[in-house]
Amino acid sequence: MKCTEAMLDITDLWASYGSAAVLRGLSLRIQRNERWAIIGRNGTGKSTLIKLVAGLLNPEQGIIRVDGTDVKRYSSKKRAQVMAYVPQKLDGIIPYSVHDFIMLGRYNSMGLLGVPSPKDYEAVREAIDICGIRHIVGRLMSTLSGGELQRVLLAGAVAQQTPLLLLDEPTTFLDPAHECLFFDALARLHKQRELTIVMVTHDINTAIAQCTHVGALLDGSFIFTGTSREFASRCPVLLDEIFSVSFERYTCSSRNAEAFGAWGVPCL
Amino acid sequence: MGGSMPLMKRPMAMIVLLSVLTIAAVIVCPMIGIRWISPLCIMHDSDLRFIFLNIRIPRTLVSLFVGGGLAVAGMIYQAIFRNPLADPYTLGVSSGASLGAAVCIVAGVGGTAFGMSAVTFGALVGAVVSTLIIYVFAWSREGNSSTLLLAGVVVATVCSGFIMFIHFVGGLHKSFQLLRWLMGGVDGVSYSMFFFLVVPLTAFFIIIGLFMPQLDQFLTGDNIAHSRGVNIRVSRNMFIIVTALAVGSIVAVCGPIGFIGVIAPHACRMLVPGIRHRLLSVCSFLLGGSFLVVADTLARSIAPPSEIPVGIITAMLGGPFFLIVLFRKKSRLLM
Repeated sequence: MKCTEAMLDITDLWASYGSAAVLRGLSLRIQRNERWAIIGRNGTGKSTLIKLVAGLLNPEQGIIRVDGTDVKRYSSKKRAQVMAYVPQKLDGIIPYSVHDFIMLGRYNSMGLLGVPSPKDYEAVREAIDICGIRHIVGRLMSTLSGGELQRVLLAGAVAQQTPLLLLDEPTTFLDPAHECLFFDALARLHKQRELTIVMVTHDINTAIAQCTHVGALLDGSFIFTGTSREFASRCPVLLDEIFSVSFERYTCSSRNAEAFGAWGVPCL
Repeated sequence: MGGSMPLMKRPMAMIVLLSVLTIAAVIVCPMIGIRWISPLCIMHDSDLRFIFLNIRIPRTLVSLFVGGGLAVAGMIYQAIFRNPLADPYTLGVSSGASLGAAVCIVAGVGGTAFGMSAVTFGALVGAVVSTLIIYVFAWSREGNSSTLLLAGVVVATVCSGFIMFIHFVGGLHKSFQLLRWLMGGVDGVSYSMFFFLVVPLTAFFIIIGLFMPQLDQFLTGDNIAHSRGVNIRVSRNMFIIVTALAVGSIVAVCGPIGFIGVIAPHACRMLVPGIRHRLLSVCSFLLGGSFLVVADTLARSIAPPSEIPVGIITAMLGGPFFLIVLFRKKSRLLM
């Protein structure tokens, strides 16, 4: 019964900051094992949407169901068993070692005293291997580069072993090489277990190449939801509409296209 | 990989070292004072034995728990507000407790309620009220670290304004009594005062000891902590109330003693980068406790025959340390 339920089901979602409405009656259904990219201009409510799903914000109106249950009805612990969230950036220094930070992702399964069991160590080891960060587990979080940090944050969420993963612009501050490593990690993860991913991104090519589905936000609601193949086929027109700048397809050698992306705004 | 072992081993080494230091301080410091009291003297001289057993020993034990309690309270404030400079003193909690106690001292309220003296009760109320004011106005409304500290300064200033007023209307004798108390000191404490300190502080340590994993989560930021399954609001409120009560009972015994809550946890963090709260709390307690034991020994020895209030010593040592932490705020090793 539960398996037929959508992983994420959003109906008529409204949210605002003060008097400015950010999301206006947005609806979305995401099935299990899909990877969604949420794209759109700055300030269209992409991050707001993902924070609403994560239960970090409360909607004004509308219902968000994760795994068939209203997000508001989850207890803190239960919520953490269903979804993990990776923020856009850290708002301060995390004064722990990488290993300890990832172990903190096991908070839920550890008892009151927070003593890790062999299962917790196993989950952390697995997360470390999936994210390819074995070489830095002994480092302090504060000494990591941006690219390393993103993968460590991902590993913390992976260690939570949730069926839903929410990523808020995970690769915005990464160079192409580290972006590549990040998506390698996601691919390995996806291969290992059933996982639904919702990712906010600014990178159209990431959305098309790395995700199965795309949701494009404009003025607080979706102007497109569908598979990324479908999105790619409607690309220049749709992109122009979303961002109000004209996009061009860059065709160069395929290697370059992979590294630098196929869709971009021509520079003057 | 190679770097991971030292990070895990060092906290234990640190705890052993600090335990030795603390035990040494607790054994040696009671002997030191205006008059040196060696174990031999205690055997032979009954006056010295009385001084040693009934004045210096309780004083040392009170110092240990006051210093340790303030250090742990500072550590908790730093975690739940994610602010490296938060401690009972800088947040104005000590000032609130002082005002509450000052009212009771000058009003001459004697009597006891629920086994607490009126001064204790006043300090507890003052601590809780001032924490709530700071929390409601500075933190819960999208506050950041600086507004929190500024609110602490404002609360402390307002409280000292009221205390000045109490001085003014209190008369000379009461005023001097109050002034001496406000300087902060552990002189003249008895075993019964030690008891009134140890019971609430032990309860405090047991309660927070159960929630150390939540403190670890706070330092990853509210968003991550929330997604890990911490009920941020409930947890933060619990820590605020429990810590305010602990600070209140400390201030009731020995007046406001500043900066230990900043010094001890940060010194531990500097020595063991990446240390987590379960071990950090033990280290902070030992370091804060032994620091105050030594500071109090200095206070009663450096200017004989008079004794300096220990609050003056901790302020003179703690102020510069506070500045170091302030300017190293962006430093990568600290929080």
